[in-house]
Amino acid sequence: MSILSYNGGAVIAMKGGNCLAVATDLRYGVELRTVTTDFPKMFEIHPHLWVGLPGLASDTQTVLEKIRFRVKMYELQENRPIQPETFAAMLSNMLYERRFGPFFIEPIVAGLNPHTQSIYLCSMDLIGNVTTPEDFVVGGTAEEQLLGMCETVWSPDMDPDQLFESVSQALVNAVDRDASAGWGAEITIIEPHQITTRRIKTRMD
Amino acid sequence: MASERYSFSLTTFSPSGKLVQIEYALAAVASGAASVGIKAVNGVVLATEKKHKSILYEDHSTYKIEKITDHIGMVYSGMGPDYRLLVRRARKMAQDYLLMYGETIPTSQLVQRVANVMQGIIYVTQEYTQSGGVRPFGVSLLIAGWDASVNNGSPILFQCDPSGAYFAWKATAMGKNYVNGKTFLEKRYDDKLELEDAVHTAILTLKEGFEGQMTEDNVEIGICDENGFRRFTPEEVKDYLTNIA
Amino acid sequence: MASTFMADLPASGFSFENCKRNAFLFEKGAKPPTTVKTGTTIVGVVFKDGVVLGADTRATGGNMVSDKNCQKIHKMAPNMLCCGAGTAADCDKTTTMMASQLELHRLNTGRQVRVCTATRLLKQMLFRYQGYIGAYLVLGGVDSQGPHISTIQAHGSTVNTPYSAMGSGMLGAMSVLEMRWRPDMEEEEAKKLVRDAIAAGIFNDLGSGSNVDLAVIKANDQVEYLRGYELANKKGERKQRYDYPKGSSVVLSEVKRPVIVESTQVRQVAMDTS
Repeated sequence: MSILSYNGGAVIAMKGGNCLAVATDLRYGVELRTVTTDFPKMFEIHPHLWVGLPGLASDTQTVLEKIRFRVKMYELQENRPIQPETFAAMLSNMLYERRFGPFFIEPIVAGLNPHTQSIYLCSMDLIGNVTTPEDFVVGGTAEEQLLGMCETVWSPDMDPDQLFESVSQALVNAVDRDASAGWGAEITIIEPHQITTRRIKTRMD
Repeated sequence: MASERYSFSLTTFSPSGKLVQIEYALAAVASGAASVGIKAVNGVVLATEKKHKSILYEDHSTYKIEKITDHIGMVYSGMGPDYRLLVRRARKMAQDYLLMYGETIPTSQLVQRVANVMQGIIYVTQEYTQSGGVRPFGVSLLIAGWDASVNNGSPILFQCDPSGAYFAWKATAMGKNYVNGKTFLEKRYDDKLELEDAVHTAILTLKEGFEGQMTEDNVEIGICDENGFRRFTPEEVKDYLTNIA
Repeated sequence: MASTFMADLPASGFSFENCKRNAFLFEKGAKPPTTVKTGTTIVGVVFKDGVVLGADTRATGGNMVSDKNCQKIHKMAPNMLCCGAGTAADCDKTTTMMASQLELHRLNTGRQVRVCTATRLLKQMLFRYQGYIGAYLVLGGVDSQGPHISTIQAHGSTVNTPYSAMGSGMLGAMSVLEMRWRPDMEEEEAKKLVRDAIAAGIFNDLGSGSNVDLAVIKANDQVEYLRGYELANKKGERKQRYDYPKGSSVVLSEVKRPVIVESTQVRQVAMDTS
């Protein structure tokens, strides 16, 4: 089993019309044994900038701390909030610095610029190769199932409610086919002036 | 003389609270060739005097106005060799920023970093250390930039001194005769100045203390606007000079 | 040393601090994960007035297509572009790092950078890493000496040829080039040739796919980047929407919070008139 599958997890970020959804499952396990069901892998940097860090849980936490440090240093030095594109470049470089001894995470970055309404999505591999699709990004052990679900349910310019249903159903149905992910899910809808976080019911097996 | 006792050390204050070596560096700047910078509504202009001590010098073999990135340019008054070192460091720092954040360096950030170098703060083995024993840089810099991210693009002009102090200016002059230059600019400057007029004003400011005839061989001009920074060719400088005369 | 209480930004360059831990994990039976590879067909040819570069746009992680439309032709300098095959992150970071070096060289010399300079810098860097940086490159550009194509292997060896192909789809692409390339081709003919070579990779190599990207470089920094030159594989139009009705997901809890968006203001610095 790949070290990336040791703890399990699934994350999505999906683009809607003038809104953005990020979602994560809540399982933390050690191989096939579930330890806790309150372990999100999607983190808020700002209300409009989120990062998902699926992979080895210890690296999820380590990298999150390193990210927080770098973002704070950037914002203190430059006196302005970090933009999603800048944040992604910084994270990518952080991962590539460890090209020969990587962190075992495959991050996704999602951001919405409240002034221009533009949405930025990207996913990375564990050494920081960035891919920036137009529609959605996924990560974690349920990646392949999520890709299939998202390809099917995504359509352009969904409103926040429709986006919520699409993302939550994509996540729920994908993790049902992945033993290492699931056990609860948290979906956050990001709009220019409002953030809505919902926990939804999933199978607990 | 009391001040002489403190005049050799860069790191010892004189009883009156001055670092005398820094004052001497400023004196080196004040006796250097004049430079002018003016911020207009739609850009910034840098202009400088480039007079050779002998007619035997080859014209246009070196430049005083240098490009740091596509949207930032720099000029100096003071010592040429010190300036060229700072130019190389500035270019390197701008590229490092671009590599790290995937966006071009904002002018204020570059100025801050250049000022750190001038103050002698260098990044050594993960520690910020104040290096001792080296002399201050014998230059003041004018740094002109265009920041695309601010207000849908806006011009900015900074001055950076040997002490590491830096300020943003609407218009300023440095080097020989800078007091007269500044007085002239205070009279001529207004907030609605267009770049074209700013170039003229810059030339007129240089003319204030200019000894002899201004030609395309002894004046250098650079502009920075939404298309980025560029140095005028001698032909362009000549056109501007003839328009003024 | 940065202490725990005085954290500092790390120095630049590669960090090997995780290597020992990772080696230990692998020793205990954990499998090393795969990185994204570009799979790839990339091609470069010289024609009468310059060079044409081409690439497919598929990126793969194992057997999964991780990017359907990735960009494999990287900008190096105003007169130079570089196609990358191999480990995607290595190609991307190596070319951006080199682009930065070349820009410094261009600013410090005040001249157009020559292709052989870029080749030399790349091979010296890659050789230092003994092939562990998995970047296989086709570099193309036009400088004072004319048009050049240069192929650089991850171990640091280079060849300069008038036409070249790299990546897992190079066999298909090369067969097209060997058959049809000739000296002093016209631009349109060269573009067609590169398009056909990439298409040979897209349709015969599973590691390559999606679209054809082209770039034409001519003298005096004339670069024409044709992203999505041909959509070789158009996705069929979807006949139906698969929308879930509202209320499909059972919400257990909901937290709404407003976001106050701050606007950025530019500080006006008063003029010092003292």
